[in-house]
Amino acid sequence: MTNGTQGAPEILENLKLELRRGCLIVAVLAQLRTEQYGYTLRKALADDGLAIDEGTLYPLLRRLETQGLLVSQWREEDKRNKRFYRLSPAGEQILGQLLEEWQNINSSLNKILQEAPL
Amino acid sequence: MSKTSSQDPMELIDRYLQAVGFWLPKGQQQDIIAELSEDLHSQIEEKETELGRSLNDTEIEAVLKQRGRPVLVANRYLPQRSLIGPVLFPIYVFVLKIVAAFYLVPWILVWIGMMSLSSSYRAEHTSAGWLGAIGSAWSAWWFTAFFALGTVTIVFAGLEYLQAKSRFLEDWNPRQLPPARNPNQIPRTGSVIEVVVNLIFGVWWIDVMSSPVILNRPEIRIVLSPVWRYLFWSFLFLALINTVTAGVNLARPYWTVVRASIRLATNGAASALFCWMLNAGAIAQITGAGLSAARALEVTNAVNAGLAKTLPVAVATGVVIALLDARRIFRVKSAVPLQLKGKISAAVV
Repeated sequence: MTNGTQGAPEILENLKLELRRGCLIVAVLAQLRTEQYGYTLRKALADDGLAIDEGTLYPLLRRLETQGLLVSQWREEDKRNKRFYRLSPAGEQILGQLLEEWQNINSSLNKILQEAPL
Repeated sequence: MSKTSSQDPMELIDRYLQAVGFWLPKGQQQDIIAELSEDLHSQIEEKETELGRSLNDTEIEAVLKQRGRPVLVANRYLPQRSLIGPVLFPIYVFVLKIVAAFYLVPWILVWIGMMSLSSSYRAEHTSAGWLGAIGSAWSAWWFTAFFALGTVTIVFAGLEYLQAKSRFLEDWNPRQLPPARNPNQIPRTGSVIEVVVNLIFGVWWIDVMSSPVILNRPEIRIVLSPVWRYLFWSFLFLALINTVTAGVNLARPYWTVVRASIRLATNGAASALFCWMLNAGAIAQITGAGLSAARALEVTNAVNAGLAKTLPVAVATGVVIALLDARRIFRVKSAVPLQLKGKISAAVV
């Protein structure tokens, strides 16, 4: 469907998706300060209100690992092989910088909203 | 009951994973499938714990359907790829439009023109009937279109590859962009050329075409028919109007509704007169040394008939010119760029 024929709910959904995309990366990095495997990570994010489908999460984990922000290890747990992820030292540094950026964006947005409230 | 209801639920998962794996690069296939398998089993295990029983094949099917079609699932693991990327795509579409407008559409028009005007061409191509002629033209056109558009696509795919390697499109200079242009501005060079051409035409027209005998040599003599008098004065009058409007355009180089309407009227009148000239049997007599009276009549009729045959082309050209002129009037009437409003109001009163 083209932009010209999108309804308001669809536009809102797309904008929410765009808004969430960047936040999800920060959330995943923050969750992986403690080691987890994919399924428990997905559950933890959903429990904290940031549900993410597996089709998005696993490719994202692979990308972050390729970028050196995560490290992973296959290990047996409950008689099944599972891949455990955790933040790498480079990932920790990037997470700190991203959180700082997040704070900056947040305070800028707050300032804008205070200047001209909705 | 679904078709798969009698199958082993675990076999359904294996089939799903195999289908996903088919679309994955060999190097990562095993790793991704192992992780996906683990995630599926964890999800199923959790549901089974919740229900206190094993999932049946319909429930497994629902889990897999919720995951998505295998090719889409696999695609999310692959890097984003495109034959022609977002940088080149608008240029690619622009070139396709040019190819369509200046090659594919004219191809059809030429075919229609040849079939309408050339009896020999028509006879040659309708030997198997009109349907056969249209069918063979259609297939030839598709081959031409496929070849032209395919060539453009291959060239752009090559450019995309080069762009991805060297990023040559990122190196650009704002100073090399074409100057900002107002479509309602009349280039002064064009107006000067128009004045000069109309003056030269007027002088030549009076000098050569004022007499009905336009060529009078011992070897050939061409005499125009009486209808020529009307055509002579009408064309001269139009040349005069065009010279004056071009002069005004030179002094005030922005189209106004009045001047654009005058241009539509003069071009329309010129087209109508030209068509009339082609169809009116404008040549009364062609005589020549050693040409018998009967042969001279044949030649005169042949020339008049030849002129009449070009009438469809003249009509089509006239219509195109009229449409372009009408579009200009519409453009002048519609919104004017803000930054140029001041200039225009200063130039046109």
